[in-house]
Parts: sequence; C-alpha cells; structure tokens
Amino acid sequence: MSQEITVVLMACRQALPEPSRLAGPLEQAGLKTRVILEPCSSKVEVFQMLRTLATEADLLWVVGCPEAACQLVEGSLRMAKRVAHAQEYLAEIGLEPERLGKTQLAAGNQEAAAAMVHEILERARSLGVNPAKADPLKKE
Amino acid sequence: MIVGTRKPLAEIQDLVKKYDRLLLAGCDTCVAECASGGRREVAELAAALQMAFRLAGQEKDIREVSVDRQCVHEFLLDVVEAAQEADAVLSLACGAGVQALAARLPETPVFPALNTLFIGETAQRGLWLENCRGCGNCLLGLTGGICPISRCAKSLLNGPCGGARNGLCEINLALKLEPEVPCAWLQIYDRLTSLGELDRLLEFAAPKDWSTGDASGPRRVVRPDQQA
Repeated sequence: MSQEITVVLMACRQALPEPSRLAGPLEQAGLKTRVILEPCSSKVEVFQMLRTLATEADLLWVVGCPEAACQLVEGSLRMAKRVAHAQEYLAEIGLEPERLGKTQLAAGNQEAAAAMVHEILERARSLGVNPAKADPLKKE
Repeated sequence: MIVGTRKPLAEIQDLVKKYDRLLLAGCDTCVAECASGGRREVAELAAALQMAFRLAGQEKDIREVSVDRQCVHEFLLDVVEAAQEADAVLSLACGAGVQALAARLPETPVFPALNTLFIGETAQRGLWLENCRGCGNCLLGLTGGICPISRCAKSLLNGPCGGARNGLCEINLALKLEPEVPCAWLQIYDRLTSLGELDRLLEFAAPKDWSTGDASGPRRVVRPDQQA
C-alpha cells in the first residue's frame, strides 16, 4: 500500500476565497491536504516554504493572484520570485524543485482552478513521498 | 554595511557533517540587510540543512538563534547560552561576527556559513554594491562623495584612465556585468559639476599612503575614554 501523500497549499484569500473548492477534489483523489490562507501570497516567506517541506509536505503549492490583479500591487510578483529562489535552494539540497509549485489564479476562474488541481495531482503522483521530510513515526 | 553571501550548501554541509547537534546563529544587522545571514536566512538554512542531511541518511538536531549583531560581545549571551546544547555552531554573521563568537566559545567549533565580501550599500532592492575599502584615509570630501578607491577599478586618484567608453568602466568588456559598472571618475566629474565645485579636482592627490589601509597587518582603534 503506498504512503499517503501530503499537499500543503498556501493561498492568498483573494485568489482562493473558497478553499474547499480546491481541497475537496484533492482529498477525493486520495491526497492529504492542508490549506493555509494568507492575506496575500507575498506573506509566504522562503523559510516557510523550506520548513514546510522539511516537516510535513510532500508537495507545497503557493497560490496567488495574477500579478496585475494583486491588491498589494507587488505581492504576487514577490511571491513568484520567492518561489523561484526556494526552488533553486531545493536543487542545492538535492530535492526536486518541482515539489514546490505555484499558480497565479484569478478568483472565480473555474477552468484555471481545475487545471491547477490536475497539475497538483499529476505532480504528486509523479514525485511521490518527499524523502527529505521528517519521519512522523520517529520520536524526538 | 558589510555584505556577504551564503556559502554553497554542499560546502556548509561538509564543514558540519560530523556534528550531531548544530546551532545556527544569525546576525540581524548587516547580513540581514543583504538577505544572507538574518533570522529568516537562519530559518532557511536550518530547514535546508535538515533536508540535505536527511537525504544523505543523517538526522541532525538543528537549532536556531539570532542576535542583533554578533560583533559585539555583550550581544552574544543568547548564542553562548544556546551553544551549551550544541556540538558545533554555524554562524551566519560576517567574518567579524564569526570571530567574536568563536572567541566567546573557545570549546565549541564555530564555522562560517557566509563568505564576507565587502563594505557597501543597498543600491536598490536586491542589489548591493561595494563602495568602501576601509582605506583609513577618507578622501570623499575631495571627490564629491564618490570613492575612487573602491569604485574605480584601478583606484586612481587624479582622474580617469583612457579605458572608459560611453561613461562605463573598461572592466565591463571582460566581466559582462549587469548592471554595468560606470566610470567612477566620470561620476565624480558630474557630481562636482552639479555642486559647482569642479575646481576641487585642481587639487592634486599625492600617492596614497596605504599604511592606514589593510597593508599593515590587523588594524585597531583605541579609545581610552570608552574603556572601563
């Protein structure tokens, strides 16, 4: 029996006003899903991305608004740059940079949301369990 | 501010691989400003090392601490206390901070996580430029606030060389830098012109006495009025 894959989503509240629309299909597909809502995707720092992958996530996905639509003007742009920086860090670590993904999603765009769900599922299946995350069975 | 960059992760891993309990110590002044050694970067490196060692089959106990600055001994108390539970300390401070910390922890190995590069400024977000060499005899008053020692590739003191093209230093031909390096002497000329003080350049700068710079061994400043 394969291990359950955990996906953590850090999502801007404006881009994803109804998190269950994303979490629901992922959980139905067998992924353990946690959604963390943020006031803006720029609230997500590189150390949070790395820490989440080190502790619980097999796949981490950051969801922000399209850059031109970010209410904080540069927030989504900064998020994109941080994700790129974190992906470079992952490559240095020896972990697949693809374990960290992002989507810049216009709120209410159902087609884009469905495409994101599909991409997350594909990525989770192809990458499998994160060998670098903490073993939940190991006691400290 | 002092500017440094993180060492390659593989190099850091190699430095500390034989120690089970690591303390990562950050500095929240200069190296935090250049996004290489502050508490955020400590958290990044801690998570990164944890994952990298796990992939190598090793589980480490990695803890984090940050102080305002590591170059002042009195500020290091928190690090010294946390280091009692560590086999080694990885300092994300500049070279000055690493050494101050090492002096306070004579029985604990202290390793640098950064390569300290230069004294400089935040020119714009994400870009730090060298603008001071600590030569010990500042002549910025003569050059309109633009340092020819650090910003002229040849550290010329009395005007440009013949290599400048279109306002740019000739090192751009070889180094292909982005943004390109301007000719410091053209900048000095333009600055003094805008100040209406171009005649400052009529003062001839004599050959520099480098004994106040880094050519005479470790330097010091002593202030008896500041001593206990």
